Amino acid sequence: MKHTLKSLFSICLLFSMFLGHAQETTTTTVTTENNQKKNKAEAVKPAAQEAKKDSIPIKTDRYGLRVGLDLFKLTKGFYDKDYKGIEFVGDFRLTKKYYIAAELGFEDKTTDDDRLNSTATGTYIKGGFDYNTYQNWLDMENLITIGLRGGFSTFSQTLNTYKIYNPNPYWNESTTIIADQKYNGLTAGWLEVAMGVKAQVFNNVFVGFGVQLKLLVMNTKPDGFDNLYIPGFNRTYDGSFGVGFNYTVSYFIPLYKKKTALPQIIKKPAAKK
Amino acid sequence: MKKIISVLLLFTFGLSSCEKDDICDANTPTTPRLVISFYDIADPSLAKNVRNLKVIGVGEENGIVFNETGTDTTRYQTSATTISIPLKVNAKTVTYRFILNDSDEDPGIINTDVLTFNYTTNNIFVSRACGFKTNFTLDPVSDVDPITSPFVQTDPDLDGRWMQLVKVKNRNIEFENETHIEISF
Repeated sequence: MKHTLKSLFSICLLFSMFLGHAQETTTTTVTTENNQKKNKAEAVKPAAQEAKKDSIPIKTDRYGLRVGLDLFKLTKGFYDKDYKGIEFVGDFRLTKKYYIAAELGFEDKTTDDDRLNSTATGTYIKGGFDYNTYQNWLDMENLITIGLRGGFSTFSQTLNTYKIYNPNPYWNESTTIIADQKYNGLTAGWLEVAMGVKAQVFNNVFVGFGVQLKLLVMNTKPDGFDNLYIPGFNRTYDGSFGVGFNYTVSYFIPLYKKKTALPQIIKKPAAKK
Repeated sequence: MKKIISVLLLFTFGLSSCEKDDICDANTPTTPRLVISFYDIADPSLAKNVRNLKVIGVGEENGIVFNETGTDTTRYQTSATTISIPLKVNAKTVTYRFILNDSDEDPGIINTDVLTFNYTTNNIFVSRACGFKTNFTLDPVSDVDPITSPFVQTDPDLDGRWMQLVKVKNRNIEFENETHIEISF
Protein backbone atom coordinates (compact mmCIF):
# COMPACT_ATOMS: atom_id res chain seq x y z
CA MET A 1 0.00 0.00 0.00
CA LYS A 2 2.72 2.38 1.04
CA HIS A 3 4.73 1.61 -2.06
CA THR A 4 1.71 1.89 -4.32
CA LEU A 5 1.06 5.34 -3.02
CA LYS A 6 4.67 6.27 -3.37
CA SER A 7 4.86 5.17 -6.97
CA LEU A 8 1.50 6.74 -7.70
CA PHE A 9 2.75 9.96 -6.34
CA SER A 10 5.96 9.75 -8.28
CA ILE A 11 4.01 9.16 -11.47
CA CYS A 12 1.88 12.19 -10.69
CA LEU A 13 5.05 14.13 -10.20
CA LEU A 14 6.49 12.95 -13.45
CA PHE A 15 3.26 13.86 -15.12
CA SER A 16 3.30 17.31 -13.62
CA MET A 17 6.71 17.84 -15.14
CA PHE A 18 5.34 17.13 -18.60
CA LEU A 19 2.54 19.49 -17.78
CA GLY A 20 5.12 22.08 -16.95
CA HIS A 21 6.90 21.46 -20.21
CA ALA A 22 3.73 21.63 -22.21
CA GLN A 23 2.99 24.98 -20.71
CA GLU A 24 6.45 26.25 -21.35
CA THR A 25 6.08 25.91 -25.11
CA THR A 26 2.71 27.58 -25.16
CA THR A 27 3.89 30.44 -23.01
CA THR A 28 6.79 30.96 -25.35
CA THR A 29 4.51 31.39 -28.30
CA VAL A 30 2.16 33.60 -26.38
CA THR A 31 4.94 35.74 -25.06
CA THR A 32 6.54 36.17 -28.44
CA GLU A 33 3.20 37.37 -29.70
CA ASN A 34 2.96 39.70 -26.75
CA ASN A 35 6.38 41.02 -27.42
CA GLN A 36 5.61 41.58 -31.03
CA LYS A 37 2.57 43.56 -29.96
CA LYS A 38 4.70 45.50 -27.57
CA ASN A 39 7.20 46.12 -30.31
CA LYS A 40 4.50 47.46 -32.56
CA ALA A 41 3.24 49.71 -29.82
CA GLU A 42 6.66 51.01 -28.96
CA ALA A 43 7.65 51.35 -32.56
CA VAL A 44 5.50 54.47 -32.70
CA LYS A 45 8.02 56.19 -30.49
CA PRO A 46 10.80 57.42 -32.73
CA ALA A 47 13.51 57.08 -30.08
CA ALA A 48 13.01 53.38 -29.63
CA GLN A 49 12.55 52.79 -33.33
CA GLU A 50 16.17 52.10 -34.09
CA ALA A 51 16.49 49.49 -31.39
CA LYS A 52 13.41 47.74 -32.61
CA LYS A 53 14.85 47.24 -36.05
CA ASP A 54 17.03 44.52 -34.56
CA SER A 55 13.79 42.82 -33.55
CA ILE A 56 15.25 42.10 -30.12
CA PRO A 57 12.51 42.40 -27.55
CA ILE A 58 13.22 44.23 -24.35
CA LYS A 59 12.97 41.71 -21.59
CA THR A 60 11.12 42.65 -18.47
CA ASP A 61 11.52 40.60 -15.34
CA ARG A 62 8.72 40.56 -12.88
CA TYR A 63 9.58 40.87 -9.23
CA GLY A 64 7.34 39.93 -6.40
CA LEU A 65 6.34 37.55 -3.71
CA ARG A 66 5.46 33.93 -4.31
CA VAL A 67 3.46 32.16 -1.61
CA GLY A 68 2.34 28.58 -1.61
CA LEU A 69 1.64 25.34 0.12
CA ASP A 70 3.33 21.98 0.28
CA LEU A 71 0.78 19.53 -1.10
CA PHE A 72 2.88 16.53 -0.18
CA LYS A 73 2.59 17.20 3.54
CA LEU A 74 -1.03 18.24 3.26
CA THR A 75 -2.18 15.17 1.35
CA LYS A 76 -0.09 12.79 3.42
CA GLY A 77 -2.41 13.57 6.30
CA PHE A 78 -5.30 12.03 4.36
CA TYR A 79 -3.80 8.63 3.73
CA ASP A 80 -1.37 8.32 6.63
CA LYS A 81 -3.16 8.27 9.96
CA ASP A 82 0.15 8.75 11.76
CA TYR A 83 0.84 12.06 10.11
CA LYS A 84 -0.51 15.57 10.13
CA GLY A 85 1.45 18.38 8.62
CA ILE A 86 1.34 21.61 6.73
CA GLU A 87 4.03 23.75 5.21
CA PHE A 88 3.78 27.24 3.79
CA VAL A 89 6.42 28.26 1.34
CA GLY A 90 7.35 31.70 0.17
CA ASP A 91 10.02 33.43 -1.81
CA PHE A 92 10.78 36.95 -2.83
CA ARG A 93 12.75 37.78 -5.93
CA LEU A 94 15.70 39.87 -4.89
CA THR A 95 17.75 40.11 -8.07
CA LYS A 96 17.54 38.48 -11.46
CA LYS A 97 18.85 35.20 -10.14
CA TYR A 98 18.52 35.33 -6.39
CA TYR A 99 15.43 34.76 -4.31
CA ILE A 100 14.97 35.03 -0.58
CA ALA A 101 13.11 31.91 0.42
CA ALA A 102 11.42 30.71 3.57
CA GLU A 103 9.28 27.85 4.75
CA LEU A 104 7.08 27.70 7.78
CA GLY A 105 5.48 24.50 8.91
CA PHE A 106 3.86 22.31 11.50
CA GLU A 107 4.14 18.57 11.79
CA ASP A 108 2.68 15.91 14.03
CA LYS A 109 4.20 12.57 13.19
CA THR A 110 4.06 9.22 14.90
CA THR A 111 7.03 7.08 14.07
CA ASP A 112 6.39 3.38 14.44
CA ASP A 113 9.68 1.55 14.46
CA ASP A 114 10.12 -2.11 15.24
CA ARG A 115 11.04 -1.38 18.82
CA LEU A 116 9.88 2.16 19.45
CA ASN A 117 6.72 4.12 18.88
CA SER A 118 7.06 7.84 19.37
CA THR A 119 5.27 11.00 18.35
CA ALA A 120 6.97 14.27 17.49
CA THR A 121 4.91 17.45 17.36
CA GLY A 122 6.14 20.92 16.63
CA THR A 123 6.67 23.85 14.36
CA TYR A 124 9.63 24.88 12.30
CA ILE A 125 10.92 27.74 10.24
CA LYS A 126 13.46 27.68 7.49
CA GLY A 127 15.03 30.66 5.82
CA GLY A 128 17.64 31.23 3.18
CA PHE A 129 18.03 31.89 -0.49
CA ASP A 130 17.54 30.23 -3.84
CA TYR A 131 19.65 30.72 -6.92
CA ASN A 132 17.91 30.17 -10.23
CA THR A 133 20.14 28.28 -12.61
CA TYR A 134 17.57 28.10 -15.37
CA GLN A 135 18.07 30.38 -18.36
CA ASN A 136 14.56 31.46 -19.25
CA TRP A 137 13.54 32.29 -22.78
CA LEU A 138 11.95 35.68 -23.20
CA ASP A 139 9.71 36.31 -20.25
CA MET A 140 9.27 32.75 -19.08
CA GLU A 141 9.58 32.50 -15.35
CA ASN A 142 10.48 28.91 -14.63
CA LEU A 143 13.04 28.04 -12.03
CA ILE A 144 15.56 25.34 -11.39
CA THR A 145 16.99 26.42 -8.11
CA ILE A 146 19.73 25.49 -5.78
CA GLY A 147 19.68 27.13 -2.44
CA LEU A 148 20.74 27.15 1.16
CA ARG A 149 18.56 27.25 4.23
CA GLY A 150 18.92 27.46 7.92
CA GLY A 151 16.24 25.60 9.80
CA PHE A 152 15.04 25.73 13.36
CA SER A 153 12.41 23.64 15.04
CA THR A 154 10.83 23.69 18.46
CA PHE A 155 8.93 20.55 19.32
CA SER A 156 7.92 17.98 21.85
CA GLN A 157 8.29 14.26 21.70
CA THR A 158 6.22 11.52 23.28
CA LEU A 159 7.54 8.05 23.73
CA ASN A 160 4.38 5.96 23.43
CA THR A 161 5.65 2.40 23.70
CA TYR A 162 8.96 0.64 23.59
CA LYS A 163 10.33 -2.86 23.52
CA ILE A 164 13.21 -4.12 25.57
CA TYR A 165 15.82 -5.74 23.42
CA ASN A 166 16.62 -9.06 24.98
CA PRO A 167 18.97 -11.13 22.83
CA ASN A 168 18.53 -14.14 25.12
CA PRO A 169 14.83 -14.62 25.71
CA TYR A 170 14.17 -17.44 28.15
CA TRP A 171 11.28 -16.31 30.25
CA ASN A 172 8.22 -16.06 28.11
CA GLU A 173 7.53 -12.46 28.99
CA SER A 174 6.22 -9.50 27.09
CA THR A 175 8.88 -6.95 26.36
CA THR A 176 6.55 -4.20 25.17
CA ILE A 177 6.23 -1.45 27.70
CA ILE A 178 3.77 1.40 27.54
CA ALA A 179 5.72 4.46 28.53
CA ASP A 180 3.63 7.47 27.49
CA GLN A 181 6.52 9.67 28.44
CA LYS A 182 6.44 13.20 27.08
CA TYR A 183 9.55 15.28 26.54
CA ASN A 184 8.84 18.99 26.14
CA GLY A 185 10.87 21.98 25.07
CA LEU A 186 13.09 20.28 22.54
CA THR A 187 14.86 22.28 19.86
CA ALA A 188 16.93 21.47 16.81
CA GLY A 189 18.74 23.49 14.19
CA TRP A 190 20.07 22.44 10.84
CA LEU A 191 21.46 23.57 7.52
CA GLU A 192 20.12 22.35 4.25
CA VAL A 193 20.93 22.40 0.59
CA ALA A 194 17.71 22.70 -1.35
CA MET A 195 17.29 21.77 -4.96
CA GLY A 196 14.04 22.56 -6.64
CA VAL A 197 12.10 23.01 -9.82
CA LYS A 198 9.22 25.43 -10.24
CA ALA A 199 7.22 25.77 -13.42
CA GLN A 200 4.52 28.29 -14.20
CA VAL A 201 1.55 26.19 -15.20
CA PHE A 202 -0.79 29.08 -15.82
CA ASN A 203 -1.06 32.71 -14.95
CA ASN A 204 1.05 33.29 -11.85
CA VAL A 205 0.44 29.75 -10.58
CA PHE A 206 3.50 27.60 -10.11
CA VAL A 207 3.95 23.97 -9.32
CA GLY A 208 7.24 22.75 -8.08
CA PHE A 209 9.01 20.07 -6.26
CA GLY A 210 12.21 19.98 -4.35
CA VAL A 211 14.53 17.82 -2.38
CA GLN A 212 16.62 18.91 0.53
CA LEU A 213 19.75 17.48 2.03
CA LYS A 214 20.06 18.40 5.66
CA LEU A 215 22.82 18.57 8.16
CA LEU A 216 21.88 18.69 11.81
CA VAL A 217 23.99 21.22 13.67
CA MET A 218 22.16 21.56 16.95
CA ASN A 219 19.97 19.01 18.64
CA THR A 220 18.82 19.04 22.24
CA LYS A 221 18.12 15.41 22.99
CA PRO A 222 15.77 14.49 25.78
CA ASP A 223 17.29 12.88 28.82
CA GLY A 224 17.27 9.13 28.28
CA PHE A 225 15.83 9.22 24.80
CA ASP A 226 16.64 10.47 21.32
CA ASN A 227 14.98 12.71 18.77
CA LEU A 228 13.81 10.16 16.24
CA TYR A 229 11.86 12.69 14.22
CA ILE A 230 12.31 16.43 14.12
CA PRO A 231 9.56 18.51 12.50
CA GLY A 232 11.03 20.09 9.38
CA PHE A 233 14.17 18.00 9.54
CA ASN A 234 12.30 14.70 9.28
CA ARG A 235 13.68 11.36 10.36
CA THR A 236 17.04 11.40 12.03
CA TYR A 237 19.75 8.92 11.20
CA ASP A 238 22.75 7.76 13.17
CA GLY A 239 24.83 10.55 11.71
CA SER A 240 23.61 14.11 11.45
CA PHE A 241 22.26 13.86 7.91
CA GLY A 242 18.68 14.10 6.87
CA VAL A 243 16.60 14.45 3.77
CA GLY A 244 13.40 16.17 2.82
CA PHE A 245 10.99 16.43 -0.02
CA ASN A 246 8.21 18.78 -0.97
CA TYR A 247 5.71 19.29 -3.74
CA THR A 248 4.39 22.79 -3.84
CA VAL A 249 1.72 24.82 -5.51
CA SER A 250 2.28 28.54 -5.22
CA TYR A 251 0.92 31.82 -6.42
CA PHE A 252 3.09 34.68 -7.61
CA ILE A 253 2.09 38.17 -6.56
CA PRO A 254 3.85 40.56 -8.93
CA LEU A 255 4.96 43.76 -7.26
CA TYR A 256 7.15 45.55 -9.79
CA LYS A 257 8.99 45.05 -13.06
CA LYS A 258 12.54 45.61 -14.11
CA LYS A 259 13.82 45.81 -17.63
CA THR A 260 16.78 43.66 -18.35
CA ALA A 261 19.71 45.48 -19.93
CA LEU A 262 20.42 43.53 -23.07
CA PRO A 263 23.83 43.95 -24.66
CA GLN A 264 22.24 45.21 -27.90
CA ILE A 265 20.85 48.23 -26.12
CA ILE A 266 24.29 49.19 -24.93
CA LYS A 267 25.46 49.14 -28.53
CA LYS A 268 22.75 51.56 -29.58
CA PRO A 269 24.28 54.88 -28.37
CA ALA A 270 27.57 53.95 -30.00
CA ALA A 271 25.78 53.60 -33.33
CA LYS A 272 24.18 57.04 -32.92
CA LYS A 273 27.48 58.87 -32.58
CA MET B 1 16.76 20.26 -17.48
CA LYS B 2 15.46 16.75 -18.12
CA LYS B 3 18.71 15.37 -16.81
CA ILE B 4 18.35 17.26 -13.57
CA ILE B 5 14.76 16.13 -13.18
CA SER B 6 15.63 12.50 -13.74
CA VAL B 7 18.48 12.75 -11.25
CA LEU B 8 16.15 14.27 -8.67
CA LEU B 9 13.51 11.62 -9.27
CA LEU B 10 16.07 8.87 -8.99
CA PHE B 11 17.25 10.44 -5.79
CA THR B 12 13.77 10.47 -4.26
CA PHE B 13 13.25 6.85 -5.26
CA GLY B 14 16.56 5.96 -3.71
CA LEU B 15 15.60 7.58 -0.45
CA SER B 16 12.35 5.73 -0.10
CA SER B 17 14.17 2.44 -0.29
CA CYS B 18 16.42 3.08 2.70
CA GLU B 19 13.79 3.48 5.36
CA LYS B 20 13.68 0.21 7.25
CA ASP B 21 17.35 -0.61 7.28
CA ASP B 22 17.80 -0.51 11.01
CA ILE B 23 19.03 -3.73 12.48
CA CYS B 24 20.32 -3.90 16.01
CA ASP B 25 24.01 -4.67 15.86
CA ALA B 26 24.83 -7.81 17.82
CA ASN B 27 27.87 -6.07 19.32
CA THR B 28 25.75 -3.36 20.89
CA PRO B 29 25.48 -3.94 24.65
CA THR B 30 21.81 -4.67 25.23
CA THR B 31 20.02 -6.44 28.07
CA PRO B 32 22.78 -8.30 29.92
CA ARG B 33 22.57 -11.73 31.49
CA LEU B 34 23.75 -12.58 34.98
CA VAL B 35 27.24 -14.03 34.75
CA ILE B 36 28.13 -16.69 37.30
CA SER B 37 31.68 -18.01 37.68
CA PHE B 38 32.58 -21.19 39.50
CA TYR B 39 35.61 -21.59 41.75
CA ASP B 40 37.27 -24.31 43.71
CA ILE B 41 36.32 -24.13 47.40
CA ALA B 42 39.82 -25.26 48.34
CA ASP B 43 41.48 -22.55 46.28
CA PRO B 44 39.15 -19.61 45.60
CA SER B 45 41.47 -18.21 42.95
CA LEU B 46 41.11 -21.34 40.83
CA ALA B 47 38.27 -21.53 38.33
CA LYS B 48 36.54 -24.88 38.47
CA ASN B 49 34.44 -26.63 35.87
CA VAL B 50 30.98 -27.71 36.89
CA ARG B 51 29.89 -31.15 35.79
CA ASN B 52 26.75 -31.44 33.66
CA LEU B 53 25.04 -28.48 35.24
CA LYS B 54 21.47 -27.87 34.20
CA VAL B 55 19.86 -24.55 35.04
CA ILE B 56 16.11 -24.40 34.87
CA GLY B 57 13.86 -21.50 35.74
CA VAL B 58 11.17 -22.27 38.28
CA GLY B 59 7.93 -22.52 36.35
CA GLU B 60 9.63 -23.30 33.07
CA GLU B 61 9.61 -26.69 31.36
CA ASN B 62 13.04 -26.59 29.80
CA GLY B 63 16.38 -25.49 31.07
CA ILE B 64 18.57 -22.79 29.62
CA VAL B 65 20.13 -23.98 26.39
CA PHE B 66 23.89 -24.09 26.81
CA ASN B 67 24.68 -26.33 23.89
CA GLU B 68 22.67 -25.60 20.74
CA THR B 69 23.83 -28.73 18.95
CA GLY B 70 23.30 -31.18 21.79
CA THR B 71 20.71 -33.90 22.24
CA ASP B 72 17.53 -33.41 24.23
CA THR B 73 19.52 -34.02 27.39
CA THR B 74 22.90 -32.50 26.67
CA ARG B 75 21.74 -29.26 25.12
CA TYR B 76 20.67 -28.06 28.57
CA GLN B 77 23.91 -29.13 30.23
CA THR B 78 27.17 -27.31 30.64
CA SER B 79 30.55 -28.19 32.07
CA ALA B 80 32.06 -24.72 31.83
CA THR B 81 33.55 -22.49 34.50
CA THR B 82 31.18 -19.64 33.69
CA ILE B 83 27.50 -19.51 32.83
CA SER B 84 25.21 -16.65 31.83
CA ILE B 85 21.57 -16.74 32.80
CA PRO B 86 18.85 -14.27 31.83
CA LEU B 87 16.94 -12.36 34.45
CA LYS B 88 13.29 -11.40 34.09
CA VAL B 89 13.01 -7.87 32.71
CA ASN B 90 9.49 -7.35 34.01
CA ALA B 91 10.02 -8.61 37.55
CA LYS B 92 12.16 -7.90 40.56
CA THR B 93 12.97 -11.48 41.37
CA VAL B 94 13.85 -14.65 39.53
CA THR B 95 14.37 -18.21 40.78
CA TYR B 96 16.50 -20.89 39.15
CA ARG B 97 17.20 -24.52 40.03
CA PHE B 98 20.84 -25.45 39.56
CA ILE B 99 21.09 -29.20 39.00
CA LEU B 100 24.61 -30.54 39.29
CA ASN B 101 25.45 -33.88 37.61
CA ASP B 102 22.15 -33.68 35.76
CA SER B 103 20.77 -37.02 34.42
CA ASP B 104 23.69 -38.90 35.85
CA GLU B 105 23.58 -42.70 35.95
CA ASP B 106 24.22 -42.50 39.66
CA PRO B 107 21.20 -40.65 41.06
CA GLY B 108 23.04 -40.22 44.33
CA ILE B 109 25.30 -37.49 43.00
CA ILE B 110 22.53 -35.44 41.37
CA ASN B 111 22.20 -32.37 43.54
CA THR B 112 19.79 -29.49 43.16
CA ASP B 113 20.24 -26.10 44.75
CA VAL B 114 17.84 -23.22 44.27
CA LEU B 115 18.86 -19.59 44.01
CA THR B 116 16.48 -16.67 44.03
CA PHE B 117 17.94 -13.39 42.84
CA ASN B 118 16.46 -10.10 43.97
CA TYR B 119 17.14 -7.01 41.97
CA THR B 120 15.84 -3.75 40.60
CA THR B 121 15.59 -2.96 36.91
CA ASN B 122 16.44 0.13 34.95
CA ASN B 123 15.31 0.49 31.36
CA ILE B 124 17.76 2.50 29.27
CA PHE B 125 17.40 3.80 25.75
CA VAL B 126 19.95 2.30 23.36
CA SER B 127 19.06 3.30 19.83
CA ARG B 128 16.29 3.34 17.28
CA ALA B 129 17.23 -0.12 16.07
CA CYS B 130 17.75 -1.75 19.46
CA GLY B 131 15.07 0.03 21.41
CA PHE B 132 15.66 -0.14 25.13
CA LYS B 133 17.75 -2.43 27.29
CA THR B 134 17.28 -3.41 30.89
CA ASN B 135 20.12 -3.11 33.34
CA PHE B 136 19.85 -4.80 36.71
CA THR B 137 21.11 -3.99 40.17
CA LEU B 138 21.18 -6.78 42.71
CA ASP B 139 19.66 -5.76 46.02
CA PRO B 140 22.20 -4.86 48.69
CA VAL B 141 22.71 -6.96 51.78
CA SER B 142 20.81 -5.29 54.59
CA ASP B 143 19.95 -6.72 58.00
CA VAL B 144 17.98 -3.69 59.12
CA ASP B 145 14.53 -2.87 57.87
CA PRO B 146 13.88 -3.19 54.97
CA ILE B 147 15.70 -6.49 54.97
CA THR B 148 17.12 -7.12 51.55
CA SER B 149 19.55 -9.57 50.10
CA PRO B 150 20.86 -10.04 46.58
CA PHE B 151 20.07 -13.76 46.59
CA VAL B 152 18.47 -16.49 48.67
CA GLN B 153 19.84 -20.01 48.56
CA THR B 154 17.64 -22.98 49.38
CA ASP B 155 18.00 -26.73 49.12
CA PRO B 156 14.58 -28.23 48.36
CA ASP B 157 15.59 -31.92 48.26
CA LEU B 158 17.52 -31.63 51.53
CA ASP B 159 20.53 -33.54 50.26
CA GLY B 160 23.01 -30.88 51.25
CA ARG B 161 24.00 -27.83 49.28
CA TRP B 162 26.53 -28.32 46.53
CA MET B 163 27.17 -24.57 46.42
CA GLN B 164 29.29 -24.04 49.49
CA LEU B 165 29.90 -20.35 49.03
CA VAL B 166 27.93 -17.87 46.99
CA LYS B 167 29.01 -14.27 46.88
CA VAL B 168 28.27 -11.15 44.92
CA LYS B 169 31.19 -9.91 42.88
CA ASN B 170 29.44 -7.08 41.12
CA ARG B 171 25.98 -5.81 42.00
CA ASN B 172 25.55 -3.82 38.81
CA ILE B 173 24.61 -6.05 35.93
CA GLU B 174 25.36 -3.97 32.87
CA PHE B 175 27.79 -5.99 30.80
CA GLU B 176 28.32 -9.66 30.14
CA ASN B 177 32.10 -9.56 30.05
CA GLU B 178 32.40 -9.48 33.83
CA THR B 179 31.40 -11.80 36.62
CA HIS B 180 28.50 -10.80 38.86
CA ILE B 181 28.17 -13.86 41.11
CA GLU B 182 30.93 -16.19 42.29
CA ILE B 183 30.07 -19.72 43.41
CA SER B 184 32.61 -21.95 45.09
CA PHE B 185 32.08 -25.68 45.46
